[in-house]
Amino acid sequence: MIGPMERPSTNTPAIEAIDLARTYKTHTGVVRRRPISVEAVRGVSFEVRPGELFGLLGPNGAGKTTTIKMLITLLLPTSGTARVMGYDVVRETTAVRERIGYVFGGDRGLYDRVSALDNLRYFAELYGVEPSEQKRRIGALLELVGLTGREKEKVEGYSRGMRQRLHIARGLLHDPEVIFMDEPSIGLDPIGARELRQTVRSLVDSGKTVLLTTHYMFEADALCDRIAVINAGRIVALGTGADLKDAIADRTIVEIETFGVSDETVERLRGDDEVNAVNMEERDQSQILLVQSDRGAHITQRLLALLGETRVGKVVAREPTLEDAYVHLIASTGDDEARSARAASVQ
Amino acid sequence: MSGARSLRLIWFVTWFNVRMLLASEFFVLLTFIGPLIYATLGFFLFRSGGGTAGHTLLYVALGAGMMGVWSTTLFGCGGAIAWQRWEGTLELLVNAPTRYDFILVGQTFGAVVFGFYGIVATLIWGVVLFGMPIEATFPLILPLSLLAAVVSLGSLGMLIATTFVLYRHANALGNLLEYPIWLVAGLLVPVATLPFWVRPLSWLLAPTWGMEAIRGAAIGTEPPILAIVMCFALAVVYYLAARVALIYVLAKARRDATLSLQ
Repeated sequence: MIGPMERPSTNTPAIEAIDLARTYKTHTGVVRRRPISVEAVRGVSFEVRPGELFGLLGPNGAGKTTTIKMLITLLLPTSGTARVMGYDVVRETTAVRERIGYVFGGDRGLYDRVSALDNLRYFAELYGVEPSEQKRRIGALLELVGLTGREKEKVEGYSRGMRQRLHIARGLLHDPEVIFMDEPSIGLDPIGARELRQTVRSLVDSGKTVLLTTHYMFEADALCDRIAVINAGRIVALGTGADLKDAIADRTIVEIETFGVSDETVERLRGDDEVNAVNMEERDQSQILLVQSDRGAHITQRLLALLGETRVGKVVAREPTLEDAYVHLIASTGDDEARSARAASVQ
Repeated sequence: MSGARSLRLIWFVTWFNVRMLLASEFFVLLTFIGPLIYATLGFFLFRSGGGTAGHTLLYVALGAGMMGVWSTTLFGCGGAIAWQRWEGTLELLVNAPTRYDFILVGQTFGAVVFGFYGIVATLIWGVVLFGMPIEATFPLILPLSLLAAVVSLGSLGMLIATTFVLYRHANALGNLLEYPIWLVAGLLVPVATLPFWVRPLSWLLAPTWGMEAIRGAAIGTEPPILAIVMCFALAVVYYLAARVALIYVLAKARRDATLSLQ
């Protein structure tokens, strides 16, 4: 174990979380206040190796951002420990902050009324970039994120994609060893998201360690060396994309388009002996039922019979994808876990 | 971080904040137009009272300028942390490997320095529109008086920034403190004319001594040494109190997850 003042060895994990937990305390009501505890993260443990691109994948509210904020020293864990490059995130905050970059998605986090160049100069000062080094570093980062030639424009006129690229440049100003990216592709158009993925990949190719959170399965699959699936504050699976897919490799997926399917009908499908799981996606006018069954089971006719009077559109039987694996993992650990994470206590 | 690097950081943040305030219509109006209105009202009030003899016009112009400085300090510093939280930049600043109090010093001094434009504006206004003579009894001491006022107001601004962030409705608190401080600090009328029981409160306020130092150097009969010393002494007290408050606020923010609340 590395002591607080010892220099981390080369074998040290870039990121190490051990039973990390965080409970938020809030309240409801104005006159009669009722305290509420919400367990956002409940004993998360994982390691990220130096130079690895590690994905933290989960639905909204799963605990991804809370985990990342504990790792970057912005939030104190309720229990558990975490280290970044061997430094404790609670006690050695400065050492951690010198070694990390933090990039988040969304429109906030930039000074809109000044130029991108002014933003980068400002943060370069704050991040302790040597004055003699600033110009070269900012120029190289603008080149990396494709903003060269636009750097003197005010940020308020930037598109969502340009802002996100500027965020990345800002996060890399002090050449951090570990980069935390919290849903960086949120709100980006497909081309912007693809460019972002290329930039992230190039960072890892240049030797950086990246921890990326996302709720897009395909993004995690396309980018990450390993993925931890988190739901209701717990890691429910950890491995490569192929490992996760193996979890349901013995299944067949029947995809049924329905119009106005009732909850009772869905429950009837779930209760069938041949059915392992049923997930439903709402579309504009229709609902897509994703029915998992054992490989080799030919249950399409049986399912149509169970649907009874429900209007049915397209029906497709196919191999499971990584997204099915993700949906399966989230659904199988879903509601009960989420309910137990939200424990309300009245005093 | 070396001393020279820290000073460079504070200077850079101060300058950046001045630029940010210049880009804000609210602060441009508050700082550039407000003091001119106060000065105009003051000139007419004193003129109608027959009291424009001697240094009265300069007395009024400096007071009106300082009223603008106080407004900019109060709102610029009071909202400093809260605005950054809304903009989503607070997390990034706190997460920087730099000491956050240095960043905050730069931000609050940026607001104060920006506010001091009000004094320049009211002096020009007085000369052009009211034929006010520009003079200084102790011209060599005047720069020191200005520096003392900036330092004490900047430190008070830092204390305001760190304590206001604890209150959800800090802006309302700012409004509440604007006019009373104009009166209590003697910006419009001398502190000596206030009720006796108010005076101890005046002595605890940076604007009182800052105003005393500037007026003393400009139109006083003796060098304002006491006022200058009080400015620097109060600056130390404010800064230390702000450091303690900042440590508490940042620890609370890490504990309660309030750095990124909107």
